[in-house]
Amino acid sequence: MLAFIIRRVLQSVVVLLVVGLVAFSLFRFVGDPVDNLLGQERTIEDIDRVRSELGLDQPFPVQYFRFLQGVAQGNFGVSFRQGRPVADILAERAPATLELAAVSALFAIVLGITLGVYTAIRRDGWLSNFIMTSSLIGVSLPTFLIGILLIYVFAVELGWLPSFGRGETVRIGWWTTGLLTESGLKAIILPAITLGLYQMTLIMRLVRAEMLEVLRSDYVKFARARGLNQRSVYFRHALKNTLVPVITITGLQLGSIIAFAIITETVFQWPGVGLLFINSIQFVDIPVMASYLMLISVMFVVINLIVDLLYFAIDPRLSASRGGGH
Amino acid sequence: MKKLSFLLAATIAAGVGTAQAETFKWAAQTDPQTMDPHAVNSAPVLGFLNNVYEGLVRRGKDMTIEPALAESWEPLGGDGWRFNLRRDVTFHDGAAFTAEDVLFSYERASSEAADTASWFAPVSEVTVVDDFTIDFMTTAPNPIFPDSIANFMIMDRGWAEANGVELPAKDAENFATLNANGTATFRLAERQPGLMTVLEPFEGWWGEVEHNITRAEFTPVQNSATAVAALLSGEVDMINPVPVQDAGRVAERDGVGVITGIEARVIMFGFAHQADTIKYADDAGQPNPFRDVRVRQAVAHAINVDAILQTIMRGAAEPASQLVSPAMRGYTPALAERPAYDPDAARALLAEAGYPDGFSFGLKCPNDRYLNDESVCQAAVSMLAQIGLRAELDAMPVRTYWPELREDNFDMYLLGWSPGTFDAEHPVRFLAATPDEEKRLGSWNFGDFSNPRVDELLPMIQSEIDDAARQAMLDEVAQILQDEQAYVPLYVQPLIWGVRDGVELTQRPDNFFILRWVTINE
Repeated sequence: MLAFIIRRVLQSVVVLLVVGLVAFSLFRFVGDPVDNLLGQERTIEDIDRVRSELGLDQPFPVQYFRFLQGVAQGNFGVSFRQGRPVADILAERAPATLELAAVSALFAIVLGITLGVYTAIRRDGWLSNFIMTSSLIGVSLPTFLIGILLIYVFAVELGWLPSFGRGETVRIGWWTTGLLTESGLKAIILPAITLGLYQMTLIMRLVRAEMLEVLRSDYVKFARARGLNQRSVYFRHALKNTLVPVITITGLQLGSIIAFAIITETVFQWPGVGLLFINSIQFVDIPVMASYLMLISVMFVVINLIVDLLYFAIDPRLSASRGGGH
Repeated sequence: MKKLSFLLAATIAAGVGTAQAETFKWAAQTDPQTMDPHAVNSAPVLGFLNNVYEGLVRRGKDMTIEPALAESWEPLGGDGWRFNLRRDVTFHDGAAFTAEDVLFSYERASSEAADTASWFAPVSEVTVVDDFTIDFMTTAPNPIFPDSIANFMIMDRGWAEANGVELPAKDAENFATLNANGTATFRLAERQPGLMTVLEPFEGWWGEVEHNITRAEFTPVQNSATAVAALLSGEVDMINPVPVQDAGRVAERDGVGVITGIEARVIMFGFAHQADTIKYADDAGQPNPFRDVRVRQAVAHAINVDAILQTIMRGAAEPASQLVSPAMRGYTPALAERPAYDPDAARALLAEAGYPDGFSFGLKCPNDRYLNDESVCQAAVSMLAQIGLRAELDAMPVRTYWPELREDNFDMYLLGWSPGTFDAEHPVRFLAATPDEEKRLGSWNFGDFSNPRVDELLPMIQSEIDDAARQAMLDEVAQILQDEQAYVPLYVQPLIWGVRDGVELTQRPDNFFILRWVTINE
C-alpha cells in the first residue's frame, strides 16, 4: 500500500513537470503581455525594456526553469495584470471554485444515484422514460447554453435568483464562504446546476445501466428467492455492487468539474480560479496561467490517487485478495 | 411557515432600505487592474480612478478642459505653464493639498516605473513657486500641455511616504495597488480585485455635489450576455457596453434603456507603405501594389461604410473621414466628406495603376479589440472582392495582433485610434509621422507611412501657440493624409451603455464613467 502510494507520487511529480513544460512551450503562442502592460503612448524601446524585465526575452526552457525555481521556494511569481503575488490571488479565488465544485458534485451524485436507481427499478414507468429522455438534454446541450437559459428563466423572467456573482460571503480565517448567507446560497444554485448537470446525467445513466446488470445477476435472484424484502435487495445488495465504476467515474468527473468550472464561472461571473484563468489568458498573464495549470494538475493527480485508494475500501474482491475480510 | 414569512418580510424590508439609500450598482467588462493612478495608462484604470483622484484640470461633460485642483493656469511666455492651485482642498484622509503634492505626483508619474511618463516628455522642470502656485516648464512652447495632463492625478506626498508607495509598483504589490487616497468626489471604501470595488461619497469634497449616490458598487462582468441579464433583472443599474446586437432588445424592454453616443475612437484600415512585396495569399512575393496611391484610393472607394454601419453597427456609429472624429480639437471641417462608395471608380483606379484584374493579399484583423471588428473585416473582404481585390482575412485576438503588426506581418490591417489628448495632433504623432524611436514618433505607424511635409509640420504644430496658425497646419496635414490615402478611415466607434430607467447619467466620448454626474430618481 505504502509502496503503491510512493510510486504514484513519484509518477505524479513527473506528470507535473511535463505539464509545466508543455504549458511554457505554448505560452509563446498565447500572445504578448507587454502591450497590455504598457499604454498607448509606449515606444518600441519601452516594449523591449519591459520584456527583458519580465524575462520574456529568454527562451521558454529558461522561463520555465525560473518559474520552477520560484515554486520550489514557495513563490508562484507576481501577476502581470494585478501586480500582486499569484499565491495570494489563487488563495482568494480558490474557495469560490471549490465550493461551487463541491455543491455541484453533491447535486450530481445525490440526484444522479437517486434517479439512476429509480429508473432502473421502474424501468418502464412513464416517469422513468421522461427522466431518461430529458437527461439527453443534459448530455447534449453545451454548458454555457444551459447557463444562459437558466439565467434567462430564473433571473431575468422570474427574478427569483441572481444572474451573476457569489452573493455575500462570510470570512472564516482565510476561507470565504457563500454558503452561510441567504444571498450566497441563492447565488450558488444556478451555477451549481449548470456545472453539475452533465455529471448528474452521466452518473444517472451509469447507475441505471449497472443496476440493470446487477439485478439480472444470480445473487440478486437468490436474494429474492430467500424472501429478502425489496428494499434490502435493491439497496444493500444491488446498489452497493454498482458503486465501483460509479466511484471511478465520479472521482475523475470531480476533477473535470473543477477544471471545466471555467465556462460556468465565465457565464455567471463566479469569482473563482476558472474566471481568473480566462482573464489571465486574455491578458497573457503567464505567472497566473502557469500556476493555475499546475494547481489543476495537482488536483487531478490527487483525485486519481484517492480514487485508487477508495477501490481498496469498497471493492470486497480487492481487499479479499489482500487476505482481509468483511 | 411563520418563520419563512418573517424571513420574507425581513428581506423585503432590507430591499426597501437599500433603495432609499441610493446605492448605485454598475458593471463593465474590464476590472481596473490597479488603484494606482500612475502605474497603468489604460482607459479602464484612468476612467475608474477619475472618480477617486483628481488632476490639476479635468474634462467636462462635453470634453472641454475645466479647472479642477488648479483654479486657473496661464502660459509663461513660451517656456511653460503656471498653475494656480485651489485652496482648502483635502485628501480623503484629511491631509491638506498643496503644491508639494503636485510636485511629488509629477515626480512619481514621470518616473521610470510609471506608465504615464510619456505625458511629461515635453516637461523640462517643475518648480514650486509657493504653496498654491506651481510652474511646469517645457522644452518648447506647448499649447496643449494642460489638455494633455487631464488624467494626471494628484496623490498626497505624506500618504505615499507613510505607506512606502513613493513609486508605482510594476512587478510587485504595494499599498497603492489596493488602496487610494485622492481628493475627488468619491473615496475607495472597499477593493476586491476582480470581484467588487465600492466607492462612497467623500464628505469633504471641495466641489458642488450633483449626484445623490450614497454608495456605488462596481462589479466586472466579463460575459456580455450575463451583463445584459443582470441589467434586465434589475441587479445592476448600468452596464457598459451593451453588445451591438443586444441594443435593440434592451431598448425595447420596459424599465431599461440604452444610451448611445460616439466614442473618440476612429476605426480605419492601414497599409504596408514601404514593403517591397505582398506577403500573403496567392500573390505573395509579387511587388506591393499598396505603394501606389491609386490602389489605396481604390480601396477607399470600394468600401461601403454606410452598409457596414447599418448592418454590423445597427446604425449606431458614424462614418469618419479623418484620423480623428469631429468632436476632437483640431478637426478639419473642410474635409468631412469621406471618399464616396463607387466600385466603378475603384476599378478604374486599379486599372490605371496596372491591376485591371486586381490582386490578392493578406488582411490582418483583431477579433476582440474593437466592436464587431472581425465582422467589419469580413464585410470589407466581400466589398473588396467586387473590385477584384482578393483579401485573405486573418483575424486573431489582440494579444497576438500587436506583435504581428510590429513584425510587419501584414499587407493591409485594421486599426482603431482614440487620441489620448483629444486633439488632432495626437494621431499625427503616432500614426502619420515617420517612425523614429529616438524622438518617440510614429510608434503605431506600422505601415511606415512617410511624408516629409507631415514630418516637418508636426513639431511646428506641437509648439504653435496661435490657434488659427495651428489649425491651418493641422488642416494641411489632414489634406495630405487624405490625398495620399495614408489610411482609409471607416467610422467612429459607437458607445452603447445600458441604463435602468430613473437613472440619469452622462456619457462622455472617452468612455469614462463619471459617478458625480449620476442621479437616481425613484
